[in-house]
Amino acid sequence: LNCRGKPELRERLAAEYVLGTLRGRARARLQRWLRDDAELAREVARWEARLAPMAGAVAPVSPSARVWQQIENRLGSPKKTFSLWKALGLMASGAAAALVAVALLLPLLQPGSAAYIAVLSDPKTNQPVLVATADAKGTVLRVNTLNPAIHVADRSLELWALPRGGQPRSLGLVSREERGTLKLAAAADKSLSDVPALAISLEPRGGSPTGQPTGPVLYTGPCVKYW
Amino acid sequence: VAPSAQALEPLLARTALGDRAAFRELYQATASKLFGVALRILRREDWAEEVLQECYVSFWRHARDYNAGRAAPMTWMTSIVRNRCLDWLRRPNPEPLDDEALQEIESDNPGPLAELEKGRDTAALARCLRGLEAKQRQAIALAFFDGLSHAELAQHLREPLGTVKTWVRRGLLRLRSCLEPAAKELP
Repeated sequence: LNCRGKPELRERLAAEYVLGTLRGRARARLQRWLRDDAELAREVARWEARLAPMAGAVAPVSPSARVWQQIENRLGSPKKTFSLWKALGLMASGAAAALVAVALLLPLLQPGSAAYIAVLSDPKTNQPVLVATADAKGTVLRVNTLNPAIHVADRSLELWALPRGGQPRSLGLVSREERGTLKLAAAADKSLSDVPALAISLEPRGGSPTGQPTGPVLYTGPCVKYW
Repeated sequence: VAPSAQALEPLLARTALGDRAAFRELYQATASKLFGVALRILRREDWAEEVLQECYVSFWRHARDYNAGRAAPMTWMTSIVRNRCLDWLRRPNPEPLDDEALQEIESDNPGPLAELEKGRDTAALARCLRGLEAKQRQAIALAFFDGLSHAELAQHLREPLGTVKTWVRRGLLRLRSCLEPAAKELP
């Protein structure tokens, strides 16, 4: 028994589920359907969007301080948790700019899949200027420029991978567009797995003529795997 | 007034990246609202605390599943809390809702609609709730705020079950067409 093909019933059940009047076995049954009925889940989400704001009318009540303590206890020691935030060194940087970086970064992360992320900052101001991301199995490096003022007229900015114990490897020129892409030589799991950092150097127009950075290194930042 | 989506989205984003400090800020910005919601439905402080804990642990673990395009942060969090509360009520023998308990529930209190009218995002909802027939509004408010089932609504409002179900159903449909006048009506 299910409710497919009965739009009126589906809408009513979704609405009553969200309102809370659907109880007992009917509620449990709807929850089972929700697991593999994406359209029903969307119907529920639409009703949540309509009704949840009613909660704004409920008087807030401060929970006891022990509630937060117990939540923290249940999360386990923070040291065990890998913090991308910290790994990227964003803790120390300006909060506002770091938020921009993360806001850009998050939609790029597909839940459940690994990705490489690098955040390059200006060492003078500690502000992130550019975020590069790649899916672990992908060969596309997405480059988001956070600060368009980094570009210099008649010169090019070149992005480099700095492999552990090896020569810098060019990843290509930073696009003057806010969002650009570069092609990696191999899947990120190969080409970035041994690259703890990326850097940007100022080069003649068109990029370094030698295959190695020739101008000053303006921006650097850690490159980490996240999953 | 509920915390704004603009304030909460970056906190959820940072929580998704494992940032404890952001998670704490998220808690501080939202916990009293969500505790109020849970307490009103469960009517017992210890249970509301337990549900709140479970929900925040779940926010921490599932912040990455949050999709800003799909729901406002408070909608996402409120829905998780309300669902957890309603599931809790399904446990064998929760707080018995006897006549006395039902009397305690303020009968004609749809929550201060004035509070909703202040919010930019909730003003339309407040207007649509006001537009419902009084009985529809009362039934919907008691169900949403106090977690009453159809049977409890019938008992509390002293009306036949079928009548109460009709109020709820018609009230919900009217609310929907008021909120989305362009939405096509189902046959």
